[in-house]
Amino acid sequence: MSSIYFIALPLLFGFAVPILSKIGKDGVAYTSLAMQTLLTLLSITLALKLDSPIVEVIAIAPPLGIALVVDSVSILFVTLFTSLTLATSIYYMGGRDKIKYKNENKFFILLNMLLASAIGLVLSSDIFNIYVFFEIAGISAYILASYNKTPEALEAGLKYLITGAMASIFLVFAIALIYLHLGTLNLALISQNFNTLSGEIQLLIATLLLIGFGFKVEIFPLNFWVSDIYEGSTSLVNGLFSSIVSKAYLFVFFHILYLLLPHHSFTNFLIYLGVVSLIIAEIVALRQRNIKRLFAYSSLGQLALLFIAFSIQTTDSIYAGLYIILAHSLAKMVIFLSISYISDRYGSEDIEIFSTLNSPFLKWVLVISMLSLLGMPLFAGFVGKFLLLKTLGGMGSYGVVGAILFASLIEAIYYFKLIGMLFNSRERGESINISPTQKSILSALAIAVILFGVAPFIISDWLNVASEAMINSHIYQNIILGVKI
Amino acid sequence: MIETILNFLNQKEVIQATVVIGSMGLFLIGLFGLLTQRHFIKLFISIEIMEVSIFLLFIGLSFQRGLTAPMLGDGIKTFTNMNDPIPHAMILTAIVIGMAVLALGVSMAIEYHKLTGITDVDKMNRLRN
Amino acid sequence: MSLKRTIPMTTVSGFAVSAFFVVTILNILIKNMPSNIYRAGDELLKLNSSEGVANAVTTVVVYFRGFDTLGEIAVLFIASLGIGLVLKSTTKEKIESEESNFMLKTGAKLLSPIILIFGLYIMIYGHLSVGGGFQGGVIIASGVLLLLTSSNHFHISHRVVERLETFAGVSYVMIGLIGLIVMDSFLGNFLPHNISQMGLLLSGGIIPIIYIIVGIKVGSEMSVIVDNMLKRDIDD
Repeated sequence: MSSIYFIALPLLFGFAVPILSKIGKDGVAYTSLAMQTLLTLLSITLALKLDSPIVEVIAIAPPLGIALVVDSVSILFVTLFTSLTLATSIYYMGGRDKIKYKNENKFFILLNMLLASAIGLVLSSDIFNIYVFFEIAGISAYILASYNKTPEALEAGLKYLITGAMASIFLVFAIALIYLHLGTLNLALISQNFNTLSGEIQLLIATLLLIGFGFKVEIFPLNFWVSDIYEGSTSLVNGLFSSIVSKAYLFVFFHILYLLLPHHSFTNFLIYLGVVSLIIAEIVALRQRNIKRLFAYSSLGQLALLFIAFSIQTTDSIYAGLYIILAHSLAKMVIFLSISYISDRYGSEDIEIFSTLNSPFLKWVLVISMLSLLGMPLFAGFVGKFLLLKTLGGMGSYGVVGAILFASLIEAIYYFKLIGMLFNSRERGESINISPTQKSILSALAIAVILFGVAPFIISDWLNVASEAMINSHIYQNIILGVKI
Repeated sequence: MIETILNFLNQKEVIQATVVIGSMGLFLIGLFGLLTQRHFIKLFISIEIMEVSIFLLFIGLSFQRGLTAPMLGDGIKTFTNMNDPIPHAMILTAIVIGMAVLALGVSMAIEYHKLTGITDVDKMNRLRN
Repeated sequence: MSLKRTIPMTTVSGFAVSAFFVVTILNILIKNMPSNIYRAGDELLKLNSSEGVANAVTTVVVYFRGFDTLGEIAVLFIASLGIGLVLKSTTKEKIESEESNFMLKTGAKLLSPIILIFGLYIMIYGHLSVGGGFQGGVIIASGVLLLLTSSNHFHISHRVVERLETFAGVSYVMIGLIGLIVMDSFLGNFLPHNISQMGLLLSGGIIPIIYIIVGIKVGSEMSVIVDNMLKRDIDD
């Protein structure tokens, strides 16, 4: 039951693909599916049986070596990532007779490498190890973005690569400064000693980390090319980016920030950054005609909302943030998976295809997801947003509350426009029949969205422990530095 | 006269300051290139220059005079009085990763140029900006 | 007659922004030079002799931070995969350029065996003195590059290289998993590594084995990258 299997097995699979492709015609695809199912079951088992954090030591005990820490918040993310990747794989396999990617084996390698690196980012407790996983996730994402090799896809991949390379430079700079001044790479030891540095160096390292992670967390003003990246890549890949990749980077950034600078005034600046980013993203989303760009800007808005939630740094706001992450990942996965089918069938990516959609099933799942993203009661998105607004109101930051409500109003405008287009009785296109496998995946995700909306008490205990674990740097330090091997 | 200059330059603070100024100068060149150049290959070269400057800063500042390289050799039989091996290991990894990403970037740029003939970042606007 | 060129606004503003940024950082760095006493590397040096390897950097790269090395191998693997994916086209032929220079051909015939053997030597020697898998692999790849550019008849067989890559990658993760099963620690050193053996070729347990595996992988992947970049479409 070691947590190293989450990372070692996908890597082993990736390296062994030439052997697996000799097994059968679809040997690679089915092995990948089997492995992802295994990992999902493993993560659910760990999540249910976890009563105290598990530390998996690699080669030498921390703080001299690397350790993987499974506590309640990391296992939440691991479960989310493994189940969403499994859902994407099953969805792809379900539609394989109609849409099959060229060089499919390489697609499975990249998908599994993306999963392994996202899990590694979340579990690792060593800052240089985080940088290595940062790069693995980045490079898999660049190739997945340009998978079609059309000029648009290559343009998306190039833009992603250039911004990603810029991000790594600043991250390496920050890591170099941390090692030079503190002499250690272990997050727990860094967090114990970080306040012995002078204020200037603390601020410099925090700014460099903000710029480095900011490119990946897509915060203003570093998100200038994000919508191009979403537009140029396929919708399946968009779902992965939006639900898995950006959440992993968001968690790592705030995890490191809470460990290095707990309750520092730097986070106030981050709240304002989040508010500006939110308003700009929603206003620009209003004018989009391309369906993928519109949902890309909607993702940017939700990420900015999460940025605000995590920057407030109270247990309640983190609870709200984790709930929003859950709701958003599920809903966006549904939307992007459906769009990948719709845009392929109707051959266009303009939002007009919503008014010609001729499949009641798809209409209903899309409506459920969009209402959840908007924050309507009875859906998962409502719980998170409401809790966040309640926390902000309790703190007296009515300005931020007003900004979030204003942004939600703008969201309501375009979401209701889309819902209206789905249900009006205009000229219908040809009818769509989706395969039962794909229907079951979409229904499972949509049911989860409704379930977490009407019954938030299912996971409230888990999230309580998780948010406490995330915000309290002393708990983390005790976990790692108390390990004797 | 030369003695005093050399003794001045031989101080630890002066050497460290020189390393910092030199590598930050390279960083400036790279950052300037990144912000103003428009050709793909020049962008990639600027990114590489910035990366190299950070490596230089790191290794330069983690070097302690009077200590030897972290390996056994002729005459040195124990692991004492040696420099720190961790920066070496970190930079080895970082160099390889940086090179891999840039190799991928260059090949994507080659393919993009083959398909559209564009080499200018500003002209990449098939995706409406 | 003076040649006056007007400097465009973007250059000036770009320079101003970057200069401002860099000067701020410079200021902060100069005022705060690192002067701490504690370095994690010193503790690792003390632990190093228990591994029986003469080169401390090798122990750190392969054993104490072996997980990072595994990640780096993964990055290189994905990069080589991506380059093959992006640059691949249906018909590929190496550039049938004009016959290369006489000096290049003779020099390549003379130097390439030496370069390849030197790369192999450095790869194997990594745990004893300066060297290692990455360094040796890159040297081998440069030897292959020399052969590819100098002769039109030299081809790399992608099947052989793919098999080498697969073997190296799978065995690296398998060694790690065996360590997990045997010693309850991923990438643990489960082969004998006595201090008395330090300085001999067979010392250090799994460390030289892993470094040779890394060398094979790096060498083959970089050769494939170089080969992919040298090939062109037949109608170019």
